[in-house]
Amino acid sequence: MLSRDKRSWISLGILFTVLFLSLIAPLYASSIAHTDPFVSTLNATININGETKQVLEASTEGLGLGVTPIGPTWNPSAYFLGADNQGRDVAARLLYGGQNTLFIGSCAALLTISLSLLIGLIAGYRRGIVDSILSRMLDVIWAFPVYLLSISLSVVLLTSGLSLGFIHIGAGSIALPIFIIGIVYIPYVARPIRGQVLALREREFVRAAVGSGAKHSTIIFREILPNVMPSVLVFIPIMVALAMLTESALSFLSIGVQPPSASWGTIINDGLALLYTRPIVALAPGLMIVLTAASLNLYGDAVRDALDPKTRGRGDS
Amino acid sequence: MRKRSIILVSMLATATLLLSACGGSSDSNSSAGSDTTTKGSFAAYDETKAGGILKFVAAGAGGTLDPKVNYTAQYWQLYQASYDGLLAFKYADDEGSFEVVPDLAEALPEITNDGKTLTFTLRKGIKFSDGTDVTVADVKASFERIFTVSSPTAGGFYNGIVGADACLKKPAGCKLDAGVVVDPATNSVVINLIAPDETIISKLAVPHAVINPAGSPTTDAGTTIIPTTGPYMYKSYDPNKSLIMVRNPYFKEWSHDAQPQGYPDEIHYTFGLTATAQVTAVENDQANWGYDPIPSDRLNEIGTKYADQVHVNPLTAMWYLPMNVNLAPFNNLKARQAVNYALDRAAMVKIFGGDKLAAPVCSFLPPGFPGHEDYCQYTVGGTPEAPATAWTAPDLAKAKALVEESGTKGQAVGIVVSDDEVNKQMGEYIQSVLNQIGYKATLKPISGNIQFTYIQNTKNKVQISLSQWYQDYPAASDFLYILLSCGSFTPGSDSSINMAGYCNKALDVKMQKAMDLGLTDPAAANKLWASIDKEVMADAPVAVAFTPKQLDFISKSTKNYHFSKQYKMFVSQIQLK
Amino acid sequence: MSKFILKRIAAMIFVLFSISVLVFLIFFATPGVDPAARIAGRNADQLTLQQVRVSFELDKPLPLRYLSMMRHLFISQDLTSYVNRGAKVLPQLFQAIPATLSLVFGAALIWLCVGIFLGIAAASSKRKWMDPTISFLGIVGISLPVYWLGEVVNLITQSKLHNSVFSWLPPLGYVPLTQDPLGWFLRMIFPWMTLALLYAGIYIRVLRSEILSVMKEDYIKTERAKGASEKRILYKHATRMSLITIVSLFGLDFGALVGGSALLTEVVFGIQGVGRLTFSALQNFDLPVIMATVMYASFFVVLANAIVDVVYALLDPRVRRV
Repeated sequence: MLSRDKRSWISLGILFTVLFLSLIAPLYASSIAHTDPFVSTLNATININGETKQVLEASTEGLGLGVTPIGPTWNPSAYFLGADNQGRDVAARLLYGGQNTLFIGSCAALLTISLSLLIGLIAGYRRGIVDSILSRMLDVIWAFPVYLLSISLSVVLLTSGLSLGFIHIGAGSIALPIFIIGIVYIPYVARPIRGQVLALREREFVRAAVGSGAKHSTIIFREILPNVMPSVLVFIPIMVALAMLTESALSFLSIGVQPPSASWGTIINDGLALLYTRPIVALAPGLMIVLTAASLNLYGDAVRDALDPKTRGRGDS
Repeated sequence: MRKRSIILVSMLATATLLLSACGGSSDSNSSAGSDTTTKGSFAAYDETKAGGILKFVAAGAGGTLDPKVNYTAQYWQLYQASYDGLLAFKYADDEGSFEVVPDLAEALPEITNDGKTLTFTLRKGIKFSDGTDVTVADVKASFERIFTVSSPTAGGFYNGIVGADACLKKPAGCKLDAGVVVDPATNSVVINLIAPDETIISKLAVPHAVINPAGSPTTDAGTTIIPTTGPYMYKSYDPNKSLIMVRNPYFKEWSHDAQPQGYPDEIHYTFGLTATAQVTAVENDQANWGYDPIPSDRLNEIGTKYADQVHVNPLTAMWYLPMNVNLAPFNNLKARQAVNYALDRAAMVKIFGGDKLAAPVCSFLPPGFPGHEDYCQYTVGGTPEAPATAWTAPDLAKAKALVEESGTKGQAVGIVVSDDEVNKQMGEYIQSVLNQIGYKATLKPISGNIQFTYIQNTKNKVQISLSQWYQDYPAASDFLYILLSCGSFTPGSDSSINMAGYCNKALDVKMQKAMDLGLTDPAAANKLWASIDKEVMADAPVAVAFTPKQLDFISKSTKNYHFSKQYKMFVSQIQLK
Repeated sequence: MSKFILKRIAAMIFVLFSISVLVFLIFFATPGVDPAARIAGRNADQLTLQQVRVSFELDKPLPLRYLSMMRHLFISQDLTSYVNRGAKVLPQLFQAIPATLSLVFGAALIWLCVGIFLGIAAASSKRKWMDPTISFLGIVGISLPVYWLGEVVNLITQSKLHNSVFSWLPPLGYVPLTQDPLGWFLRMIFPWMTLALLYAGIYIRVLRSEILSVMKEDYIKTERAKGASEKRILYKHATRMSLITIVSLFGLDFGALVGGSALLTEVVFGIQGVGRLTFSALQNFDLPVIMATVMYASFFVVLANAIVDVVYALLDPRVRRV
C-alpha cells in the first residue's frame, strides 16, 4: 500500500497535470494542432500520410447515407482524438473544456459543501423549531423540479437576461450553473451532516461540554466540527464529480457554457450524437471526469487520515 | 434527441387540375404488382397476404386523437387508414398520391354557380365502426363540428363556407344551414361557398373534413375514441403508452382507390422509445417502423447493412432561416443578403445526413413544385439581378463586404433554434458563419416544442431563427402567400407564421393576382409565381438552405412499402406475410 | 406518535403548497410557454386562438388559474393535459407508478447490497489492494453520466451483440410483473444495473469513510478491550453507527427516485414510468402534468424524510428527539 505521502503526491500530480493541460489549451491549439476549435469547419480537408481526407466524410458505401467525422489520428498535430460534428478538433476542445469544467465543478462543490455544513450544524445542534424549519426548507429544495427551473430560466435568459438588482446575468454566465448546482445538492450533504450532529449532540463528551457551561460556538468548533469533518471530506470528490455531470445537463438546457465554448459536459453531449460512429468523443471527456474525481478522492482520503483527530493510521485497526 | 415533430405538415394538396381529368371512377383499374411503382392504383386486395400485428414505435404520442383537431403528420398518416371524408387522396404511388378521388361521395362534386356550389351524392350502405349507418345528417354535423371544436384550420381552410363567419365568432351551437344543405331522400350534400376557391377540393380531402357520427363530442374528443369508417378503428389510446388499432368489423371495400382494405389485423403504436432505440428495434425486427427521424450516427449503418430496408423519397419542403426585417441588423437589406451569400448550404446538407438526404436550394419554392425555377441569386457568380442556375459555393468575400457596407458590422445577433441534435448543430454552424462575416452571434437553443411558436411572436424579438416548412400542396400560394404575406403577420401573437415580419403590399397584390389566375390559367399563374419567388428572394426576408428527403427504415419482415406524397408511408397497405 | 404524524402531515402540506406555487409562478413567468398557440395548431386563426385561450381558462388572472388547477387536481381529480387534450392527468400518473416502482426497488436492492458489501469490504479488508480498487470503482460509478451509460448499454446489448451474447434479451420497454414475470425481470436487469451504479459508487465511498471513523471511537476501543471479536465490533457497532449517514442518503435518493428523478434512465430504456411522464411533460411544457408529477414527487420526498427520522431513533437510541 502506498504511504499517505505517496498517495497525496500522486493525486496532486494528476490534478496539477489536468489543470496544467487545461491552461495550455490555447498554446496546444495554436502551435501544435494549428486549429481554431471554436470555428465550424464542415468542409475542411486534412492531409494524413500524403492522403487528402475530408474532415467530415460522406459515406460512400451502400446507399451512401450519413456523414461521419474523422476518427482519432493519434497524431497531436492534427485531430489527435478526431473531429466532432462541426469538424472541430476534439482534443483541443477537451483541453479548453477542462478550464470551464474544473472551475464550475470545484466552485459548485465548495458552495454546496460549505452551505450544507452550516445548515447541518445549525439544524442538528439547535434542534427543535430551528431544525424543523431548516429541514422543511431542505425538503422543498430537494423536491423542487430543477429541470423545470432550468428550462424556464434558460428561456428567460435568452429573451431578456436576468436582472437581480444591479447584477445582470446573461445566458452564457458561468455563475448561474455554479449557483444552481451549488444549491440543489445542499439537502444531499446537509441531511447526513444533520443526522450525525444529532447523534453527536447526545454523546457523553458533548453533553459534558454543555454541562460545563462552554459556549455554543466553542462546542460546535471544538467538539462537533472535527467529528463531522471526515464525512464532509468524503463528499468533496463525490460532489465535484456530480457537479461536473450536472453542468453538462445544464449546458444542454442552455445554462452556463454556451457554444461554441466547450466544457467536458458539452463535449459529452456532442459525443452522444456520435456514439455509434465515434464513441471516443463522448468517452474522452468522461475519462477526464473520472480521472479528476478519482485523484481528488485519493487526495481526500489522504487528507482525511491526516486530519482525523483520533486517527492513528489504518495499520492499527 | 429529437422530439416528435409536432404538426407541422400543413398538408393539403390541390386537385383543381385533376378535377376535370378524373371523371370520378372509383374502380381499381391497375394490374400492377404490389411491389412495383406505377403511377396507377394499387393491385387488388390479396387476402393471402393479410394478417399479423403491425408494430410502430415513436418517442411520444401525437396529442389528441380527434381527427377534427389533430394537426400532426404522425396521426394524419393513421387517419388515412381509418377515417373518410367525402373526398380522399388516392392510394397510389408518386404523383398519383396527390390525386383527389371520391371517397364517401359517389363521385367528385358537380361544380356550379361559378364554382361556388359543390354537389355530392353520399354513398349508401356504409356503416361506422359502431354499426350505425353513415347518413347525410352525419355529414352536415361533421362540417359544423369543425367549428364547434375550434379546429386549427377552421379559420384557414373552411372559412369560405357560407355561414362559417358566424361559427368562427361563436363556435358553440354552430349551424351551417345555408352552407351545407343535405337531403336525406336523395342522399345529396350541397356545399355553398362565398367565393370560388381553387383549393377547396383538397381541403375537403384532409382529415379535418372527415365524416364522424352526428353525436360526436362537441368539444375536442381528446383521448375519447370516435367511430371510424375505414378498415381500422381505434381500440384504445393512452398517450403515455400506446395506441391500438384493430379491424373495423363493418368495413367493406367500396373504393379501392380511396380506401382499400388493409392487410395487418392490428396496428400497435407504442410510445416512449428514443429515436436511436427505435432504429435498434427495427433492426432487430422487434418493430416494423419508427416514426422519429433517424439519428445521424445510425445513417451509415442502415445504409450499408440494411440497405434494402431503407426507402428515401423526395419531399416538397424546405429548411430556411427567417430574418426579422423589423429588427437590427436584418432591417437592412444588405445584411440579409450577406447571410444568404455566406450560408454554406452544402455544410448544412452534411449536418442533415449528406447529399442523398437533402439538396441545397436558394429558391423559395422547392424543386418539383409548380412555379419552381432553378435559379440561385446568392452563390459564387450569382447576383439578385443576374442569378446563377444553381447554388455552387458560398461567397464569403461578398458577404463580408455587404456587412461592411451595411454598417451593421459588430452587432449582436441571436439565433433561435430548437434544441434537438440536428437543429442545434445547424445553429452552431450558422453561429460560426455569422461570426465570420462580422457579427457577434450567440446561439439560443430552446425546447423544440416551444421554438416554433416562440419565433413567431414579435414580443420575443427574435432576429434570426431556423425553421422548416413541409408542404405537399402543388400550388405555390400555400408556400409564398402563407409564409410571406402581410395577412400572416400578426405582431404580438404566437400564431404569426410570417416569422420574418415581411409585409410588401405590392407583392401581396401580385400574389392575389396569381391566385386568381390559378382558377383559369394554371400555367400562366405558375410563371407569375416564379417571378414573385425571385422578387421575394431579392428582398431576402429569409435564407433558404436546403430541401430534405423522407427516409423510412422498415424491418425485414415488413413488405409492400408504398409512399404517399400526401401522408408518407401507406400504413394499411403494409404486408407482414 | 400521533403528534409526530400530525406534525409531519402539516409539514407535508407546507412543502406541497410552496412547491406548487413556485412551479406555477415559474411556469407562467417563462416567455413563450403560452400553450394556446400550440394547442390551436399551426397557423391558427386569431379567433381560434382566442377560443382556445378561453376554453383553457388562460384568460383568467393567475390566482384564479392556480385555484382552479388545484381544485381539478385534488378535489374533482379530473385535471386534463394541455398537450394530449382529454387525457386525464391522474390516471396517467397512477398508471406510470408500477413501472417506476419496479425500476427503483430493483435498483435500490442492488445498490444497497453492493454498496454495503463493498463499503464494509473496503473499510475492513486485510488485503491492501482491495480498498483503493473498490474506491476507484466507486468513483468511476459516480462519474459516469447515466444517460451516456444507458446508451452504451443499449448499444452493446440491443445492437452490437444482440445477435450473439444478448439474444435472450427482450426489446426495450416495460411489461407489468403480473403479466409476464420473466419478461419483466429480463427487461429490467440492465436498467437496474445502470441506475444502481451511480448510487452504489456513492454509498461505497460514504460507508467506508463512516466505518473507519467509528472504528476509532473510544467506545469501540472499550469493546475491544473487553475482548469482543473484531467481527462483532465491525458488524454490531461500527456498521450500525455508520448506517445513520447511509439512511439519510437512502431516504433522499429513494424518495426522489420513486418521485420520478430516474427520468433519464426511464427515457433511455423506454420505461413508461413517472420519470418519463415528467420528462415528456417538461418537453411539451404541459403544466397540468408537470404539476401532478411534481406534487407526487414532493409527497414521496417528504414521506421518505419522515421515515428516515424514525429510523434514526431506532438505529441510535440516544437520539430521543423525534
